[in-house]
Amino acid sequence: MGFEYLKDKHILLVDDEQELLDMVVSILKSDGYHNISTAKSAAEALSLAGKTEPELAVLDVMLPDGNGFDLMSRLKEKGDYPVLFLTARGEDDDKFRGFGLGADDYVVKPFLPKELLFRVAAILRRTYKEENPVVKLRGSEIDFARAEVVKNGEHILLTAKEYALLAALYRSAGKIVTIDALCEAAWGDNPFGYENSLMAHIRRIREKIEINPSQPVSLVTIRGLGYKLILEGK
Amino acid sequence: MKSVPKLIRRFVGILLLSSVLLITLNAALLVFIFSGYRANGSPWKTAEETATALQAAEDGYVLSETAGVQLRSQGAWAILIDNDTLKVVWHSDNLPDVVPMEYTVSDIADFTRGYISGYPTFPAGTDNGLVVVGYPQESFWKHMWPSWDYGLIAHAPRIMLWVAAVNLAVIFAIYVTVNTKVWKSVRPITNGIQALSTGDAVHVKEKGLLSEVAFHINRTSAVLQYQNNQLRKKETARANWIAGVSHDIRTPLSMVMGYADQLQRSEHLTEDDCKKAAVIVKQSERMRNLINDLNLASKLEYNMQPISVKQENTVAIVRQVAVDFINTDIDGKYPIEWLTGETLSVCMVSADRDLLKRAVSNLIQNCINHNENGCTIYVSVAAEKKECVIRVEDNGIGASDEQIDKLNTAPHYMVCDTNTTEQRHGLGLLIVKQIAAAHNGRTVIEHSRFGGFAVEIVLPFE
Repeated sequence: MGFEYLKDKHILLVDDEQELLDMVVSILKSDGYHNISTAKSAAEALSLAGKTEPELAVLDVMLPDGNGFDLMSRLKEKGDYPVLFLTARGEDDDKFRGFGLGADDYVVKPFLPKELLFRVAAILRRTYKEENPVVKLRGSEIDFARAEVVKNGEHILLTAKEYALLAALYRSAGKIVTIDALCEAAWGDNPFGYENSLMAHIRRIREKIEINPSQPVSLVTIRGLGYKLILEGK
Repeated sequence: MKSVPKLIRRFVGILLLSSVLLITLNAALLVFIFSGYRANGSPWKTAEETATALQAAEDGYVLSETAGVQLRSQGAWAILIDNDTLKVVWHSDNLPDVVPMEYTVSDIADFTRGYISGYPTFPAGTDNGLVVVGYPQESFWKHMWPSWDYGLIAHAPRIMLWVAAVNLAVIFAIYVTVNTKVWKSVRPITNGIQALSTGDAVHVKEKGLLSEVAFHINRTSAVLQYQNNQLRKKETARANWIAGVSHDIRTPLSMVMGYADQLQRSEHLTEDDCKKAAVIVKQSERMRNLINDLNLASKLEYNMQPISVKQENTVAIVRQVAVDFINTDIDGKYPIEWLTGETLSVCMVSADRDLLKRAVSNLIQNCINHNENGCTIYVSVAAEKKECVIRVEDNGIGASDEQIDKLNTAPHYMVCDTNTTEQRHGLGLLIVKQIAAAHNGRTVIEHSRFGGFAVEIVLPFE
């Protein structure tokens, strides 16, 4: 989907177990990330962050000279970059504490390499968005920077609701997004009773992005569950 | 305690009934005793009979034999006072010497009401004079001034009723006062016993009539509190032990999983070795799930899992879980069909969102775990009268009647208090049951109409 530029991001890994650090480095490198630093303590992490500012920090909670929550607060004083906790502490209280302090994600050990890679990529994508993303569909393009659809050379403007719905669908492109999640994206919390409005908006979006709106190929319905945005070539 | 006022009411009832019975019994006894005395014959009647039996004869007066016998049998004597001379003109043979033989009108008025020389006397009039029958001294007591206010006699029934009523009221007041005092000393005791049954700590003041009972209640409370604390400590230690072990195992397992996952994709290994690595990954995942399940199950079992309940739309929650599984099922081996009615978009219940998601995930994961060759999973939410029913079922291999019966009734080994080698099924269903119970709901395990296995989570709206 054109996110190769994210592989250059500088990732700081902090964990007191060298073997785990080695393994995570190996996982990240296997996926193309090459700018990786590692630290075995909070002090070492702060020192490294002072020299080269990381663009993502992956922290353990339990460190020999402090805890990951305090380390995150101190790292955030130096620079505003995302933090992912990778820890054996799976209690809800720990998760809530981490998120409450501003963590971007929380992965509990043990984890599958694929899961860690997905989460790292998602954080980087959210944080370091590509300028003016243009999304190619079968028969049209969505230009999010201009909030418009280009179909057959014609520029069709998107309404605010259509934009919000397409953005939510694009964030999970290729996957089903539930009716409830779409209603929440367009109408905020407690989005009950908007199902008919949602269907009307989806119909209008199809008229704008589909070549044949009555037989959609880019924005498909998954009956009873939600909708899926299918990008060109996927 | 609600039974105490009831007890008092019953005692008051018994008291009132006893009072009424006592009065009736007394009245009956009085009637019986007095009627017994009346049967002996009245001295006034004897006087009348003597007067009738005393006949004038040529040489004075003669008393009939019968009347004479009657007088002697009672130890009585008789005289006849002449109307004109006021002198005794006849007397019985046994007349005491102290009895005068001449009377004034004033004397007659006196002995009519009372006595002659200490002998109780009873007069009866005849044509010729006044017959007076005298009885032995101290055989009768005579009321000398037998007169009452007319109003007193006229209102006697009402007055008696009033007296009876006042008596009853006084008895009642005494009873209530005494009972109130007893109740005041009993109340802390009953409250203490009631609090004991709820497991609260109890301290009753040890004074008054029931101080000994209070002492024993306090002692029982202390023992119960101690035992509860010990039990809680044990449960906390057990849950903490499970949490600690699962924490310590996570990091090493991460490395097993991580490296095995890399190995299974390695281009340098043979296909056979890659398969072995894949088995390690799969079994590591099972261990990870087991650790997570064990931790949650023990916390739910010992009420250590914080549950934050608020109004949630179950349709949205279940739909999200279903979609999450669809989105990760890359090879389409486990398609999910959404069978919720199109008209039902909202079904609100008080629930912990994360726990409910966990329960539904466990059910879908169960379908996947038990059907290695793939199956279709059917998910639905239905709103019934007072309940919201979440149903997850499949068309897979299913289970036998016996297995389903066991799953519905036999306790899991984690919560079973007897040694058993049978209940070694996974923790997934136990957690679903625990989560349903934590929401005051229940689970129903049965055969699916699609041929496989079906589980319902039933949650009450209230």
